[in-house]
Amino acid sequence: MNAIKAIFKKELLQLWYDKRLVAFLFFMPLLLLVLFGYALKLEPENVKMAYVDKDHSFFSNLIKTSLWSDGYFQLYEVEDKNDIIEEIRSGRAKAGLLIEKDFSKLLTDNAQPEIDFFVDGTMPSLTTAMKNRSSAMNDDDVTNGMYFLDEDSENVIIAPEPFIKTTQVLFNPDSKETWFFLPGVIGVLLMQVALILAGTAIVREKEKFTLEQIIVSPVTKSQFIIGKMTPYLLISFFEFYFILTIGWLIFDIPLPSSAHLYLFLLSLVYVGSMISLGLLISMISQTQQQAMFLAIFIIIPSILLSGLIFPIEAMSDFIKPIAYLLPFTYFVEIIRGVLIKETLFADLALDYAALFGFTIVFIILSITQFKKYLS
Amino acid sequence: MINITKLTKIYNSKKVVNELTLEIPKGEIFGLLGPNGAGKSTAIRMLCSIIKPDAGEARIAGFDLFKQQKEIKKNIGYMSQNFGLYAKLSVIENIRFYATLYGVNDEKKIKKLIKTYQIDQYKDYKAGELSGGYKRRLSLVCALIHDPKILFLDEPTAGIDPVTRKELWDLFFQLSAEGKTLFVTTHYMEEAQRCNRVAFLNHGKMVTIGDPKRVKNSLTDTTAYTYEGDFDLKMISLLKASKGVVLVNQFGDIVKILIDKQIDKIELQKIMKPFIKEEFVLKSAEINLEDVFIVMTQKKRS
Repeated sequence: MNAIKAIFKKELLQLWYDKRLVAFLFFMPLLLLVLFGYALKLEPENVKMAYVDKDHSFFSNLIKTSLWSDGYFQLYEVEDKNDIIEEIRSGRAKAGLLIEKDFSKLLTDNAQPEIDFFVDGTMPSLTTAMKNRSSAMNDDDVTNGMYFLDEDSENVIIAPEPFIKTTQVLFNPDSKETWFFLPGVIGVLLMQVALILAGTAIVREKEKFTLEQIIVSPVTKSQFIIGKMTPYLLISFFEFYFILTIGWLIFDIPLPSSAHLYLFLLSLVYVGSMISLGLLISMISQTQQQAMFLAIFIIIPSILLSGLIFPIEAMSDFIKPIAYLLPFTYFVEIIRGVLIKETLFADLALDYAALFGFTIVFIILSITQFKKYLS
Repeated sequence: MINITKLTKIYNSKKVVNELTLEIPKGEIFGLLGPNGAGKSTAIRMLCSIIKPDAGEARIAGFDLFKQQKEIKKNIGYMSQNFGLYAKLSVIENIRFYATLYGVNDEKKIKKLIKTYQIDQYKDYKAGELSGGYKRRLSLVCALIHDPKILFLDEPTAGIDPVTRKELWDLFFQLSAEGKTLFVTTHYMEEAQRCNRVAFLNHGKMVTIGDPKRVKNSLTDTTAYTYEGDFDLKMISLLKASKGVVLVNQFGDIVKILIDKQIDKIELQKIMKPFIKEEFVLKSAEINLEDVFIVMTQKKRS
C-alpha cells in the first residue's frame, strides 16, 4: 500500500512541477470546447437560396416568407431551373427552390403539388441540416395561411393534405447541432487528455530509464501500474465533469435529472476504458513519440467513425466493424441517449457493457505486454 | 554472495550472455569487463531480475534468482548506467520516493546518508540540475537506501571526470570495507585494476577471470615492445598479418607490438625496417590489462 502511495504521490508531484502541462490539461479542453461550440456551429444561417417562382401566387409567397422568416435562408430570384443549378455550381447559392406554375391551382384542387428544393451535396453536414430545415418548414405555415385566407374570402377551399412530404425530426426538433455535437466533443476532449496522459506515463519511465530502477525495487507490477494510473484516472474523472459543466454553463447542454446516475456510470466506464487504452499504448511504445502517434491514430478514426459526425448506418459494411471496435462509438451512443433522448438504461446496457469490456481487455493486454517487456 | 552457473540469455537466437559461471564472495569488488555489446549490461540486468535469463542457475544473497525474486530485490541495490532518477523532482524527493518504495521511512537514516555522500547542500535542487558526479552520488544514495548486501553498478563512472571518478571509487572501497559486495561493469582499465577480481566478457562468453594482476600476466611467453617515431602506415597492416605478432596497437606515432615465442626482437625489427627511414630502437614495454583484453577479443574473433 505504501509503495502505491509513494508512486501515486511521485506521479502527482511530477505533474505538478510541469506547470505548462497542468495548464494544458484545463485550458486546452476549455478552449476547444468553446471553439467547437461556437465556431463549428453546423446549423445553417443565412444560407443563400436561389429561387424560381413561376406561380407568383399567395401560396408561393407564403412558402418564401416562411423560409425567410427564421433567418436560415436568404432568398433571391433567378430566371429558371438551370439558373438555380448554375448558382449552386458557382457557389453563389447553397440551395435552390423551384415552384412550378400551377402550384396554387393544384393545391386548391387538393392534388398534392410538389415544390422542389435543391441542396449543394458537396457539404454533407450542411445538406443534412438543410434537408431537416426545409422539411421542418412544414405545411402548417401554409395551411394556417389558408385558414387565414378562408376567413377573408369564401372562395378558397381549405387544403387538408400536405403539399410536400414532411420529415419529422424527433428529440432534437430544432436540429440543434450544439446539442447533437457537444456531448460527443466532451468525449473527444477526454479521450485526448486520457490517452496522452496515460499513454506517455510508462513509456516516459522507459525512455528516462527510471523504469529499470523501479523494477529492481520490490514493488510489484500491479502496485506500479495502480500507483501510476490512479492519478490519471482521478484527473480524467475530474476533467469529464469539468468539461461537462462548461458545456452545460455555456452551451446549455441539457442535464436532465434522470441522467445523473447514468452519467456517473458512463464517466466510470469511459474514463476506465480510455486510461486502460492509454496504458496499453504506453506498454507497446518504446518512445513517447510513438505513444503520441498511436494516440492520434486512435483519436482521429474515433472522431470520424464513431457516429459523432456521420451516422454509422451510412457507412460501408467494410467500415462498420471498425466503428464498433472503437470505445468512443459507445460513448457517443450513450451520452446522446442519456442527455438528449433520455433513453432507458436497459436500452444502453450493452453499450455500457462494451465500454467495461474494453477496459478489461486493455488491462489484460497491457499486463501481457509488460511481462513481454521484462523478459 | 553471488553464485551463478551457466547463466544464459538469448536474443534473436543469439546468445548474448553465454553460460556465464561466477562465484563472488562477500565484500568483494568484482569487475566485469568487455567491449561494447559484450553482454555486460545484459548480465547485470539478469542478476537484478530486470530481465529473465533463458537458462542456467543463480543464487544471489542466498536466494534463487528464478523463484525468490522478491527476496533478492530487498537485498540488492542497482545503479544503472543511465541516470535513472526523476529529473524534475528534487534530490530529497527522489530519496524519499525510493525510501518509501523500499519501506524504509527513516528520516534519520536519510539524513545520515545524504551527509555521508555529501549531497546535503543540494537536497532541494532538482535532480536534473545536478552535475554528473552528484547525479551518481544521488543514484548511489537511492540504491543504498535499504542497506542492500549487494550493489550492482553498471558503468558507474561512464562520462565522469577523473577526479570525480576517483572520489566515487573511494566510496566504493568504503562500501566494500563495510562488507557490501560490489558487482561493477566498466570500460576503464585503470578501474579494472582496482577491483579484487575481474572477468572479461567477449561476445557473451567469459574469456578470463581472476585477480587483475594475474590476468595481466596471463599472456605467457609474450613480450611487448614500443616504437616511437615516423613510419610508413603500411607497416601496421603488414605487422598485423605477420606470424608471431599477437597485437599491434597504434596511438599516434607510438606503436605497441606484442609478439609471442614464434619470433624474437631481431626478426621483428627486420619486418619493420623497410617502413622506417632512420635507424630505430624497440623499447621493451609492460603488458597492461588493456593489451590482454584486446588480445583476448581478437582471439575470439579469429
